[in-house]
Amino acid sequence: MTKRYVGSLLIGVLIGLTIGVFLGWEQFPVEYKNSTISALSSQHQEEYTVMIAEGYQYDRDINAALARLQPLNQENVFDYIQNLTERYIAQSNVPFIPVMVALAEAVGRLTPVMEIYRSTPNAAPLSGQ
Amino acid sequence: MSGSRHLRTGSDISWFALILGIALGITSGLIYTWEIDPVVERNTAPWQLGQQAREDYVVAVALSYAYNHDLPLAFNRLRTLRPDQNVWVMVSEVACNRYKQGKTVTNSDIRVIRALEELYRPQGASGCADGLYPTPATVSVATAIPTAIPTVTLTPPFTKTPTLPIPTGEPIESAVQTPTPPSGGYILARLASFCDPASNGVIEVRVYDQRGEGVPGVQVQVIWSGSQIDTFFTGLKPEREPGYADFEMTPGRSYSVSIPGLRDTSPVVEAVPCEAEDDSGQTVSTTTSYWINFQQRANN
Repeated sequence: MTKRYVGSLLIGVLIGLTIGVFLGWEQFPVEYKNSTISALSSQHQEEYTVMIAEGYQYDRDINAALARLQPLNQENVFDYIQNLTERYIAQSNVPFIPVMVALAEAVGRLTPVMEIYRSTPNAAPLSGQ
Repeated sequence: MSGSRHLRTGSDISWFALILGIALGITSGLIYTWEIDPVVERNTAPWQLGQQAREDYVVAVALSYAYNHDLPLAFNRLRTLRPDQNVWVMVSEVACNRYKQGKTVTNSDIRVIRALEELYRPQGASGCADGLYPTPATVSVATAIPTAIPTVTLTPPFTKTPTLPIPTGEPIESAVQTPTPPSGGYILARLASFCDPASNGVIEVRVYDQRGEGVPGVQVQVIWSGSQIDTFFTGLKPEREPGYADFEMTPGRSYSVSIPGLRDTSPVVEAVPCEAEDDSGQTVSTTTSYWINFQQRANN
């Protein structure tokens, strides 16, 4: 009687664990709601970076731009800017190339492949003081 | 034969124990997957960002809009943050929060407020930061000059004054983010003074990794007079060194220099007078300069 009970219980636990793990990891995984910028998907991180690059075109404040990129938690933000810019060039991601090249140039990472995308700073809407 | 086996199999199972086991198993499985070993956080979408990160994201959208003036693009980006909320109200709240938190000290802060306002006000939203820092465009006098009769159109708002007395390079109360230091942190590797008329009261900061190579992009913070702060980054003068940055002191002041993850006490240096010989051999008075090197520690 006891053996039958324990055996059934163990089988039930195994079945239940399988179901529970499947539910907890696959069907209803934990959803994080207080995430940081660095936890964003790479696509959204890149979009954020492009926005910061466009913001740099607006205010021409490279220190502010670098400070805004800090939440990405990149080990070397200069390398990150250069790599992303070169990747955009390789992918012909035309809309984002000029602003990223300008940002790369501002941090001293203007590589030969970026040269042709350099644009002389046009009159950005610098609402300066 | 098969009938007897079926009966035997049925009698080997306690349905009560089986169901109890399944319930226990599911409970344990959920506890494990939700609490003990939840899925790794990755591929997070903007709507999952916390408050500070969401503010950073909204600021980025606003600055981007200030540059490209692509309203649909800005709207779509904001929608990813709050799909079920009026995004313009959200932007106005961010501007208001930044104003209340005093993030209106530096030129950059002011531009951020302007960019936010430029985004939400034309869409009908409003907030406590409305009109505090009008953009120069709104103060354009091109059409108003011929009118000698006083009109109310060009009266500068009284709140404009705080934006004016902020000279470039003067002390700023920065709203910068906390950078990510290496897990081992940094130590103060060198602190030495030198007297050189060519470097008049300059703090030369160099940041190295464990292998002794310069680390660009490290945020250096200099504090003086108790609460005056300036921040800048290494690597913006690559012609010097990749991990180099410098700061010019004002004679008579003392400065505390730190970087994120510094395990030692921040070194404090003072801009004291000194005398040195210039190129022509003449003794000249100048201000003491300093070399401050930080080195990354091995990971623990």
